[in-house]
Amino acid sequence: MTSIWLKFLGTSILLTLSACTNDSDESVHREPPPTVAEVPHETFVPAPEVVKPAPVSQKTRDTYQWYCSQCHGITGKGDGMNALQLAVPPRNHTKADYLETRTDQQLFEAIKLGGLAVGRAPCMPAWGNTLKDADITGLVNYIRELCHCEGA
Amino acid sequence: MTLYRLFICVLFFWATNAHADISLLKENHCDQCHRLSSGDKEQNLAPDLFYAGEKFQEPWLREFLRNPHIIRLNGYSGRMDFPKAITPQPHPSLPEKVADEVADVLLTLKLLEPETPINFGEPLSKGKKVRAKILFERNFSCSACHKGVNLAGKPHGGESGPSLFNAGARLQPQWIFNWLQSPEKYRSKGRMPRFDLDQETAIKLVQYIMTLKKENMK
Repeated sequence: MTSIWLKFLGTSILLTLSACTNDSDESVHREPPPTVAEVPHETFVPAPEVVKPAPVSQKTRDTYQWYCSQCHGITGKGDGMNALQLAVPPRNHTKADYLETRTDQQLFEAIKLGGLAVGRAPCMPAWGNTLKDADITGLVNYIRELCHCEGA
Repeated sequence: MTLYRLFICVLFFWATNAHADISLLKENHCDQCHRLSSGDKEQNLAPDLFYAGEKFQEPWLREFLRNPHIIRLNGYSGRMDFPKAITPQPHPSLPEKVADEVADVLLTLKLLEPETPINFGEPLSKGKKVRAKILFERNFSCSACHKGVNLAGKPHGGESGPSLFNAGARLQPQWIFNWLQSPEKYRSKGRMPRFDLDQETAIKLVQYIMTLKKENMK
């Protein structure tokens, strides 16, 4: 019984100290992220008719590719090139189960102020000095398109 | 009149000499991947070199050109196809004499000469280092994209940005400071978020990054 508690305590301390990156031994070989050819395209389904998110401009899609895809992946599945190194995995934007519990305002603030400021993972930096509010609103709409879900 | 002619001659000599410098880099094909002047067409294959003289530390640069290693594990982030995780081509290794000549030229390339250079003070004490590490990892999320060092002294961190594992030997503190405060002076659009840092915080981050040296790792 004691050993279970000790393990739990140990894990919690490690998680707290390691901030956002995975503290495991780097010598463990990791598979590189899949190249674009390996990412199955047919899994990227356009939004169904039921939910109609605000139209997403090409500029917003480019912004997502330029900045967000580094962690969230080019199709938003949370499998970007940094994903394997992070203790808290980047959010999968194609899954509704968590995102539909968030309001658009909450997503907006997470992007603008960063994870730490909104009580989420500190790996997510604040983008408020890089992106304009209108760009961030665009990204929230794009996430809604990716998850096929609406805000709570 | 003689003086004027002399002046023209000196100017001409100086100009051709400066030109010869850059041409040495071109002879070695540096311009096939790197931009050598801020006026060059946007070049997306490898980092810009027109400020190499204020970015890199001299011993590191000389050693790198002879024995290069990969710093950007997913390639240069300025590439348009970067998010698709390109496998970076290793930098060519130059023979010792050429490496030194190329380094000599690169070290002359500067963009910003700060009016009042910052004094970055002494290396961080252990206690201050821990606090700065929290800034680096938690407050500004740097380790989501950059490799730093974990509590066990091993490299850890994201891979989309250049590795900072040996940044304390690679980069000049003033350059890191300038980059954090006004990256747009070097590159019109990077993939790193901009931060509105006060000078004190920026200095702490620079001091922390300067502690990241291969020789300090276990």
